[in-house]
Amino acid sequence: MLTTRWSSTTIKSRRRAWKPDHANISRMGTQVKDVIIKPDAPSTLLLDKHADYIAAYGSRKDDYEYTLSEYLRMSGIYWGLTVMDLMGQLPRMNRQEIIDFIKACQHECGGISASIGHDPHLLYTLSAVQILSLYDSVDAIDVDKVVEYVKGLQQEDGSFAGDKWGEIDTRFSFCAVATLALLGKMDKINVDKAVQFVLSCMNFDGGFGCRPGSESHAGQIYCCTGFLTLTGQLHQVNADLLGWWLCERQLSSGGLNGRPEKLPDVCYSWWVLASLKIIGRIHWIDKAKLRTFILACQDEETGGFADRPGDMVDPFHTLFGVAGLSLLGDEQIKPVNPVLCMPEDVLQRIGLQVDLLS
Amino acid sequence: MHGRVKIKSTAQQQEEKRKEREKKLKIYVAARDACFSKRKEGVCDDEALQLTQQLLSSNPDFATLWNYRREILMHLETVKDKDEVQKIYETELSFLESCLKMNPKSYGSWHHRYWVSARLPQPDWARELSLCDRCLSLDDRNFHCWDYRRMVVKMSGVPVDKELEFTDRLIGSNFSNYSSWHYRSTLLPLLHPQSPEPPSPSHEPSQPSPPHSPQTHSHRVCEEQLLKEYELVQNAFFTDPNDQSAWFYYRWLLGRAEREEMISCVYVSRDEERVAVAFSGPVIAQSVSLLLVLDGQPQKVEWRSVHPRFKHSPVWICDLPPGTISDITSEHNLTVHWTEKYTHRDCALYTGRTESWCRDSATDQELFRSELSVEKTSVLQSELQSCNQLLELEPLNKWCLLTIVLLMRALDPLGYEKETLAHFQTLKEVDSMRSAYYSDLCSKFMIENTILKMEYAEVRVFSITDKNLTTLCHLDQLLLVTHINLSSNQLRRLPPQFAMLQCLEVLEVDNNSIENLEGLYHLPKLEEVLLKNNKISTLADLQPLASCPKLKRLDLRGNPVTQMANIESELAELLPSVTDLLL
Ligand SMILES: [Zn+2]
Repeated sequence: MLTTRWSSTTIKSRRRAWKPDHANISRMGTQVKDVIIKPDAPSTLLLDKHADYIAAYGSRKDDYEYTLSEYLRMSGIYWGLTVMDLMGQLPRMNRQEIIDFIKACQHECGGISASIGHDPHLLYTLSAVQILSLYDSVDAIDVDKVVEYVKGLQQEDGSFAGDKWGEIDTRFSFCAVATLALLGKMDKINVDKAVQFVLSCMNFDGGFGCRPGSESHAGQIYCCTGFLTLTGQLHQVNADLLGWWLCERQLSSGGLNGRPEKLPDVCYSWWVLASLKIIGRIHWIDKAKLRTFILACQDEETGGFADRPGDMVDPFHTLFGVAGLSLLGDEQIKPVNPVLCMPEDVLQRIGLQVDLLS
Repeated sequence: MHGRVKIKSTAQQQEEKRKEREKKLKIYVAARDACFSKRKEGVCDDEALQLTQQLLSSNPDFATLWNYRREILMHLETVKDKDEVQKIYETELSFLESCLKMNPKSYGSWHHRYWVSARLPQPDWARELSLCDRCLSLDDRNFHCWDYRRMVVKMSGVPVDKELEFTDRLIGSNFSNYSSWHYRSTLLPLLHPQSPEPPSPSHEPSQPSPPHSPQTHSHRVCEEQLLKEYELVQNAFFTDPNDQSAWFYYRWLLGRAEREEMISCVYVSRDEERVAVAFSGPVIAQSVSLLLVLDGQPQKVEWRSVHPRFKHSPVWICDLPPGTISDITSEHNLTVHWTEKYTHRDCALYTGRTESWCRDSATDQELFRSELSVEKTSVLQSELQSCNQLLELEPLNKWCLLTIVLLMRALDPLGYEKETLAHFQTLKEVDSMRSAYYSDLCSKFMIENTILKMEYAEVRVFSITDKNLTTLCHLDQLLLVTHINLSSNQLRRLPPQFAMLQCLEVLEVDNNSIENLEGLYHLPKLEEVLLKNNKISTLADLQPLASCPKLKRLDLRGNPVTQMANIESELAELLPSVTDLLL
């Protein structure tokens, strides 16, 4: 059966009907969203300032903004420490205080919370294990109990709940296997079922969403490709199709967005870049332009990176800015592992080998 | 923190701000501590609900407070009657609605709404659907809300066709809505599934398939619906040819199911007493699932992938016990069973032959049109026509160009080769940020075309020279190839997949930018490697060659490594089998 075909003139009239003025492209959809990088934006890497910014961040304990972010403190510490380690500045942080804090955040169930008084969650359990791996001291917590906690959150369908309240998300699948991989205990969960669940979240564009049926999103793609790397199933990804979607995240400014029609952002730049690295397609974007964008997101006065040029900085975007530059090959920064977002030398020390697509 | 613009302020303003923050901090900390201590004491009262409400209104990501509220609500369920509980939960939903209005992207608020909706004694799904409608009318890309909607639809049994109509409406008011197109990709296969293909007689039924997703085979759309869908998408991209959403969706519509899992080739070599098996995709062929039978006798063999880097590989090899097939006057019958998939392939090694193989006579249809089309040629042809017409209006539109390339490949890859190459050239110019993507895709198509030509000519020689190749792929299809010429391209490495070329004798890769030979690994028949004018710079880069036992001739002229002191003696030690060395 054939559908009706139009002659060239019908097409033109059809287009007129939809789009009144072709010359003046006023889109019916959204305008192309992007930022403009000003000529005076930072263009060199201000490593010392970033180190000072992170070192000072933890001493703002009485600050309102700082207190408001208590619910994610453990991840905040992970962001700060990792970026310091990548810059070779880890010794400036208070190791003992941090390890004691983590110990105090482990609960009876084995899970770890963002801060004291908060409830345990997979997100912060992973952050804590990452921090302890940086410090080569996972033995500071009860590792067997962590493993039991993670195992206990796996559901019948292979998915993972973030905590006992049952929110399901492929992010938590990643948290679970990343935690276990760092602890060398991957065999404690049902890996096959976990893989099946993540694969059931694969979409028409080759990407992944939070749950089966959810739209693809760069953060989720990072989690799922990372998950498939750690479980040795990366060949299940349609790398050419996914790579195309990922490299189409790059906008004229050089920055990458997390979904079509969204603004560029330093953290999405990391998630897209790391995913491309994982599937062996990092060369599909313009690295020089991305570097320019990331550098322009630095704050010359305070140090640190923002999501976009001219916005407020924070440790989260500071880590992903520096980690992104590392993946782009900046030699002033230690090589970063794209799956775990930790320095490669740390993973070597603990003997965790991560095989990417080539 | 996202989208918070940094504002310059004076010292006085800063001081005022500091004081204000200090005040806010005190209130916040007091409320937080009150919550924590109440919870510690196991208090589940109205005050606790109020305190958590106060904090969560401004900070909905404070997950622990949602947990506390749930504990309180669960407690109230046990002490209040059903109507009161219903009321309490409805109040909770109103509170949540105000939270979502303030912050429509908070994971915590959305999850709590899931939780409340699931516990509500008398759920009102119509209200939940209308909440989603309102929320999506403010931001039609909010994925939290889309996911919530999908849950509501599932719980309340909204028919799939109603949801498809919903996406019709959204797309009708704004084509540029990736979320709606995405939703369609999950709905269409449910509503209009492709009729199951008739079982092919040569293969026994396969195992239950893995979970469904729009990527997998079973989730394709029937042809009649596809035609309507083409029409809709074309409306979208004719209206706004730069709207990527429609183009992504279109590429998916044009896509086709993946190849069936099967054994595509069995090769046996008398000299090496070795068997190589190629599959249609990467597998793990442990001896339990892959069984080798020689002249009626099951063999105890160790299967290994061609390179230690691959746990999953499309090509597996094993050595037969010494002496089993080495006598040239003997005849042998070999069967490889893939027990997991209930499939097998036979191969006979006749007297006087040193090698033998059995494989599908591959056609372009079977091999490479994997990206595109089960549709009839005429449909694709008219799709191509429409796109060509659009290209006339928008000659530099990259989305249109790329789609034309894909359609051409589906129709006649060899016939359109020249036009395809020209389009790729334009693509690299108009979308220079992604030129490496286009180069790699173009390389892939060139390799596919070359394999097709090779198949038609029934030869074991593979040659692509001077074609700007940037990457190598489909190497599993070159298992039987003996001569390869890839000279004068832009290759930077011979990847581990290269080790799949188990029959390779001569390799010509002069005039590339190769700096890595990882894939020249245990190639049993490799005799000649011509690497003139590449970027091999250290002895370590040549290390893989030491694993190729028959290597005799090696041309390294024009590589940095030749400048090394003592290079000749070093090489003599590293590669003792080489008798003809060009430096
Ligand atoms: Zn961000």
